[in-house]
Amino acid sequence: MDNFFSKIGELFSTPEYIESLLHGFLLTMQVSYFAILIGIVLGTIIALVDTARPSKWMKIPKFICKLYVGIIRGTPMALQLFIMFFVIFAVKGFPSIITAIIAFGLNSAAYTAEVIRGGILSVDPGQTEAGLALGLSRFTIFMKIVAPQAIKNIIPALGNEIITVIKETAIVSMVGMYDLNMAAKDIGSGQNMASYLVPMFVAALFYLATIYLITFIVKRIEKGLRRSDLRAEE
Amino acid sequence: MENKETDLVIKNLHKSFGKNKVLNGINFELREGERVVVLGPSGSGKSTFLRCINWMEEPTSGEIIFDGEVVTEKNVRRVRRNLGMVFQHFNLISNMTVMDNLLLAPLKLKLMKRGEAEKRAMELLKHIGLLGKANAYPASLSGGQKQRIAIIRAMMLNPEVLLFDEPTSALDPESIGDVLSLIRELADRGMTIMIVTHEMSFAKEIATRIVFIDKGRIIEEGTPKEFFENPKTPRVREFLKKVL
Repeated sequence: MDNFFSKIGELFSTPEYIESLLHGFLLTMQVSYFAILIGIVLGTIIALVDTARPSKWMKIPKFICKLYVGIIRGTPMALQLFIMFFVIFAVKGFPSIITAIIAFGLNSAAYTAEVIRGGILSVDPGQTEAGLALGLSRFTIFMKIVAPQAIKNIIPALGNEIITVIKETAIVSMVGMYDLNMAAKDIGSGQNMASYLVPMFVAALFYLATIYLITFIVKRIEKGLRRSDLRAEE
Repeated sequence: MENKETDLVIKNLHKSFGKNKVLNGINFELREGERVVVLGPSGSGKSTFLRCINWMEEPTSGEIIFDGEVVTEKNVRRVRRNLGMVFQHFNLISNMTVMDNLLLAPLKLKLMKRGEAEKRAMELLKHIGLLGKANAYPASLSGGQKQRIAIIRAMMLNPEVLLFDEPTSALDPESIGDVLSLIRELADRGMTIMIVTHEMSFAKEIATRIVFIDKGRIIEEGTPKEFFENPKTPRVREFLKKVL
């Protein structure tokens, strides 16, 4: 046990180790951040197409969205990452961080689309009918009535998806990228540290702290959105 | 509603949901100042009939002509402003306060200035004794309160006709009385009304005409007196025997 704490002390007092961890952490955050951004934008588009009223113009887009979500959700993330790296973007000199962001973004879009779709469908159809009966346009109804109510159901599940992406990006180490996970392995295999336990323990703390912070923020947002559900009057 | 001559004509209206034929050729006319109560057994298509009038359900075939104009996908939004609708489950917008529910359509459709709309909303709320709830969210209201607010929300647009789709079916007995007396008051002021309901005594009292629907067709219509005291068809006689 003494050894464990002394090794932790050693890790935190060695600038190269800290630098490696922060370097890895930064890459993890960069990939996650942009992947989540792509996921939300693309996922929203997919969800909107999927929940749009059926018409002959929407038939093909709806089919494409269904197929896309089906394929992404039906295959392993690691395989998707490999396909991106070794097939689609197997161009020499193409920045691997961009490839990783695209791979995780496209993956997250499928899950985010399902989250948003579920949120939209959970809104009572009577709310839309009320808007229609008042002569409002479908656009106004969506923006003023459906979307604000759907968001309440979307935020908690979206928080979950964000957390999943951050943790899942650890598999970029499989294609040799230097993320937080890889940094821990790298430090652990070094001659001086000669222990995987300590750097991996510290990397876990990095992940935990990040995810705790995100959970906290999501809970705050949720609380703010729940105001109109309170039975008590203002 | 005072200066416009309301005229609703429905010709050979059919509505199917997939293979399920709900309406099988309804012909109907509604004149200004009439109060038509639509009766019928459950599953007869009476709610669907009402919902087809303002295109909550798009008719499969047939024509709906409102004020001399055939209702289509293109003009339906304009028509809906003149065909207020009150739902069984109130459908107040749950993310908006009572006041915002009332202001939503007049302001979004640019039919009133904010000050003017707020004044009218306040008057109507005061009239139904719920001025104190202006800033409350629907979740904090009782069913009867919600439905009365839903009615004045429809009145905010000064519609020519009010359509009521089982307005009291989801309410407790005490709230039913409150809602019915508000509808009665609108009727007394000359509002043109169509109402689907199971409240027989209210139907008898308020209607200028009763329409009976069975299997997606109007099989009998007449004044409440004719309808309740001297029904012509065996189906209506059987229905009345069960419900009265």
